[in-house]
Order: sequence, then structure tokens, then C-alpha cells
Amino acid sequence: MRVTCATAAIGALLLGAASPAAAHHAFGGEFDANRPILLRGPIVKVEWVNPHTWIHIEVKKADGTTEVWMIEGGSPNSLLRRGVTRESLQIGTELVVDGYQARDYTLKRANGRNVTYPDGRKLFLGSSGTGAPSDGADPAAGRGAPR
Amino acid sequence: MRRRLLTVTGVVGLSIAVLAVAAARVSGQGGKPSSPPRMPDGHPDLQGTYDLATLTPLERPAGATAVLTADEAARLEAGVAARNEAGARPISGSRAAPPKGGDGSAGAAGNVGGYNNFWLDGGTSYTIVNGERRTSLVVDPPDGRVPAFTPAAQKRVAALQARPTSDATQSNDPGLETAPGAYDDPERRPLGERCLLGFGSTSGPPALPNYFYNNLHKIVQTPTAVMILNEMVHDARIVRMNAQHLPPTVRKWMGDSVGRWDGDTLVVDTTNFTEQTRFRGASRDLRVVERFTRVGPRTLLYRFTIEDAATWTRPWTGEFAWPATDELLYEYACHEANYALENVLRGARRREADAAASK
Repeated sequence: MRVTCATAAIGALLLGAASPAAAHHAFGGEFDANRPILLRGPIVKVEWVNPHTWIHIEVKKADGTTEVWMIEGGSPNSLLRRGVTRESLQIGTELVVDGYQARDYTLKRANGRNVTYPDGRKLFLGSSGTGAPSDGADPAAGRGAPR
Repeated sequence: MRRRLLTVTGVVGLSIAVLAVAAARVSGQGGKPSSPPRMPDGHPDLQGTYDLATLTPLERPAGATAVLTADEAARLEAGVAARNEAGARPISGSRAAPPKGGDGSAGAAGNVGGYNNFWLDGGTSYTIVNGERRTSLVVDPPDGRVPAFTPAAQKRVAALQARPTSDATQSNDPGLETAPGAYDDPERRPLGERCLLGFGSTSGPPALPNYFYNNLHKIVQTPTAVMILNEMVHDARIVRMNAQHLPPTVRKWMGDSVGRWDGDTLVVDTTNFTEQTRFRGASRDLRVVERFTRVGPRTLLYRFTIEDAATWTRPWTGEFAWPATDELLYEYACHEANYALENVLRGARRREADAAASK
């Protein structure tokens, strides 16, 4: 028990220290904490490039018109190593995004704090055999699943 | 996270491969190989692609022991895996927008939450050196901490923080709304944000893990030059073998690297840094001495010593293992979609315009 407590204490120290210390850019400089957003809509374009992937989705406004929002994601390289490619994000796939809008609010750009399918599954994840509940949307049957 | 994405067949295949590698290690050698693979010129062959990702931080957290037992490390590593699993779980598809005023996320996530951790690949285990699972890369001073700044360096760094320039800390937006000039033009933004060098010293030297993603480094070796290519941001450092340093008037962002062999260890000496590089607050007089030694069929030991009398009260040294990987190092063409820099600068211009309009 003593060992467990000591390990937990060290773990708290180490995990805190090992959390990301730097990112490509200043998130707080790019996005506005006072402009939270929740967006739904189909993918219309994917920029699968560095330093950040940008996913474009078409969002329907209250008046019935639509506008295209650009959502920032991470670097595609590490996903590519797991077999996830630009084709894993099919045009037309419905997404739900929460995040914060760019500080220049005339731009329809936001960070993808959470990017999920409409049922709440995180992008690229949640296929069967991974511990997630099987809901019929596994790689064999689902859309947007890793290849 | 990687394993979650594999099919059951893939997992079984991977398990067999891992067992085969482990068996080869046990039967092959118990430590430093007596005769590492060699190049035609007789020097050890250090070539390969290496994944620097590790859970071991640069500095030892206060109160931690220098070395973890195998059990302690296994528990901590399982904790990281569990945290990643939790982060991968579905959330509500009918959720609301996050709170106005920010979500409270600290550090790089800057109160707006960053993005889902399925993008990340920050390491899964602690580095093992001489059979020890280390809690810091720094081994000298023995407390595992970077030494204190000299009084002159304290003044210099304080002045930089008061008026951030292109080497400003990238993770915390110091004084976003008030620091004069920090968002005035691209050249005042951090080198990483400008896609010039990797952030957090991934470009090196010293070549450090960034605890985030894209930690691959590739070594290509010839008798007259060694190239160290880092994935992020695609910087190739050319080490000229048995050469003299360039004149002190010639300055480079990654410094001027010359190499020599000390027995079976490649020693790389780097000086001639620029004013803008400033590794952890270092001056342009920074000197980095790196030692690359093959300690196993699939492992290099990387050791680095930092000397800068204008910055630290004493030299300091770190070391960690570079495990070889069969993964591919991909291009990281950073400028291609660097909307971030544009957004950061446009955001500042928008604030100025709004402030002017409200007067």
C-alpha cells in the first residue's frame, strides 16, 4: 500500500510535468475564450496538411442559409502513422464540433476542442475491438472510420 | 492509442513481432554490444529512424526519486494509457458549446482547450538508461534540474518577458492583452509559430522530445558528414566531420555542428548560435556537446552537455535512449497551412480596430 501511495504521488508529479509544454502556436492568441461555438454540419473540404489539419464544414444558420466554418485540428503526421488518411474524412460526413472562434471574429474559423460524429464518438476512434461499445458503426459498416 | 486502431489481427501480429524482438534482445546481448554494426570506414553505423517520444520529463519533478522501479513505471505508464483511453471515449453528440470565458485549460491549450488528444503521440513509457527507468533527462546536476540562471541571465530573461520577442515562451501567451509589441508583426512571434524551427527544441541541438507528437529523428551517415533530420519542423542538421567551426561571425539558428569519433561514440560540438535561437533562455554563446552511442541493436544513447556561462551558473548534462522505429518520418511542410500565424496577427488587428472604434 505504501508503494502504491508513493507511486501515485510520483505519478501526479510526473504527469503534471509531462503534459504538453509547448505547441506549434499560441492557442490563446489565436482563439477567443469569450466566443465559444457549437457547430454541426457535413464536411465539405479537408486540408490534411501541416502544421495543422483544417476541416471545413457547412453549417446551417437559423435563417436557413449556410456558411462554411474551418476547424483546426492537429498535425496529420501522427495519424498517418496509424493508418488514418485524408480519405478517412469523407466529404459529406456529419460532424459536431465544439471549440472557440478565432479572435478575428469576422473569420469563420475555430479550434476543434472536441470533434465528434453526431452520436458523440470521437473522430477516428470508437471502432469495435477497441473497447468502445459496438454500435454497428465499426470500420466494416461505418463512415469515416480508420482504414 | 495506436493499438486501439489496429484490428484484432494486427494486434496479434504486433504481439508476435514484439515477442520476437524481445527474444532476440534476450538472446542477442545483455547490454552494450561488443561489436556494433559498422560502416565501410570502420565507424559504428548509427543510421536509422528513432522515436524520441518519452514520458520522462527534462527536469525531475520536486520530490520524485531519480529512478522508478519496474512496477512503479508500469503503473504510471498504465495510468497514461488509461487517461488516453478515457480521452478517446465518446461524449454527448448533443452537447452544448463550451463555457464563455474559457474552459480553464492551462498551458498550451490556453483556456480554449486545444483539440482532441487523438491527434497526439506524446510517448508511452519512461526512458531506460543503463537499465534504469529515469524520472528526468537531466542527470547532472544530480538533482535532475536545470541549474539556476546567472544574475545577468535573470535580468535578460526578465526583460524579454516584459517585451516578448520571437523567442518568447509559446505556451502561455504572456500578457496577451498588454505586452507591447508581442503581436505587432510576424518577426515578433516565436520561431516555432513562424514555422522556422521545431518548438520546444525538437530541432535542437539538443534534440529533445516535445511530449506532443512527431518526435521522429533520422540519422544518415557518411565518412565526411552526418545528417540529423527531425520530423518537426523538417530541419536537417548537417554535422561536418573532423572540421573546424565556422568563424564566429557566421551564425545559424541550429548553430554550427562539427563531429568527431571518440572510440565508438560520435561526438558533435555545436556553437555559433543566433541571438534568436535562445534554447531555454540561452545566449548566442551557447555550446552544446552531444554524444551518440549505439548501446543495442535498436537503441542509441543520446547524451548532451549544455555550456553557456552567460546564462547558467554551471554546465548541465542530460541523457536518454533513442529507440529505433520502423515508422516512417513524414514531411512536415509547416508553412503550407500555417493559418495559425495569420489568425494570431489578425486577431490582434481586430482588437485594435475594435478599440479604436469604441473611442
